[in-house]
Amino acid sequence: MSLTLRVLCVIGSALTFWIIMRRIKKASVRIDDVIVWIVFSLSLLVVAIFPNIPTFLAHLFGFQATSNFVFLAVITILLLREFTNTLKISKLNARLNELIEEQALQAKEEPHE
Amino acid sequence: MRILAIIPAYNEEDCIQGTVFNLKRACPEVDYLVINDGSTDATRSICERNGFSHVNLPVNSGLAVGFQTGMKYADRHGYDAAVQFDADGQHLPQYISQMADAMEREGASIVIASRVLANEGPTGARGVGSKLISALIRLTSGMHIADPTSGMRMYDRTIIKQFARGHDLTPEPDTIALLARKGAKVCEIPAHMQERQGGQSYFDFAHVAAYMSRICFSILFFQWFR
Repeated sequence: MSLTLRVLCVIGSALTFWIIMRRIKKASVRIDDVIVWIVFSLSLLVVAIFPNIPTFLAHLFGFQATSNFVFLAVITILLLREFTNTLKISKLNARLNELIEEQALQAKEEPHE
Repeated sequence: MRILAIIPAYNEEDCIQGTVFNLKRACPEVDYLVINDGSTDATRSICERNGFSHVNLPVNSGLAVGFQTGMKYADRHGYDAAVQFDADGQHLPQYISQMADAMEREGASIVIASRVLANEGPTGARGVGSKLISALIRLTSGMHIADPTSGMRMYDRTIIKQFARGHDLTPEPDTIALLARKGAKVCEIPAHMQERQGGQSYFDFAHVAAYMSRICFSILFFQWFR
């Protein structure tokens, strides 16, 4: 793993961490929702500090270069994240629709409230 | 047989009054419920001024949500059948009693007012889309529905319950295919329809593409997993 990639990992990690903490401070995101990003940020840091870990894993899975393994791992994590987001949005939509329907029906049953 | 006509209406100020008056005049025994889907025009005030039976969705939510609201109402008030009825005046109320007769006579759960059986099927691009959907339904379920895209459909109690309590059932042909495959009996009666009596159709190209892809994917693919 090249030094450049390691430095970029540290910068990426620090940036992610800083952005999340700023959001927490401004109370614009729930802690539950950002834990996964903190873990992401920390693992970038780990990869940068201990390049032996990704190198070992890359060899284990037969990658030619450690950087390829790191890229693929990051892409996979982001895709999974995107998929869980789709599920979450779909569920939120269903709940919102449910609320809209119930509100409309209730307003009809109790017109003076 | 207690019947509820569900009339979803989004910005239908040009037609809603005429549609409801015609319905009341032609079928005084049929109850109706206008679903005002967050209209930004005078639809709501027209309903209030005329004392129409209606509910107001707080935000615009689309046909599926509006229709499910109507089905919940029908379910909770114990209606025997619910009919999907367009606000734009395309559907003629005099067919409602014929649909109800067909439902009882044939023991059907879903009755479709079919333009095709009246030799008035949709033409041009709409006709192609409709025939494609019809072919897909026949291919996957072996059942022949001549006019799957007709928006005037009557549903019995069992189907009302499924719409009211189910998840992601849209009042569209793919749902008809799904319900039919699960054992609901579908029949069609010939029916004439009118041109929309004013206002604007939301069927522009983007909507048509989204509609067709949802219906086709749903019939070909998703329904086997539901």
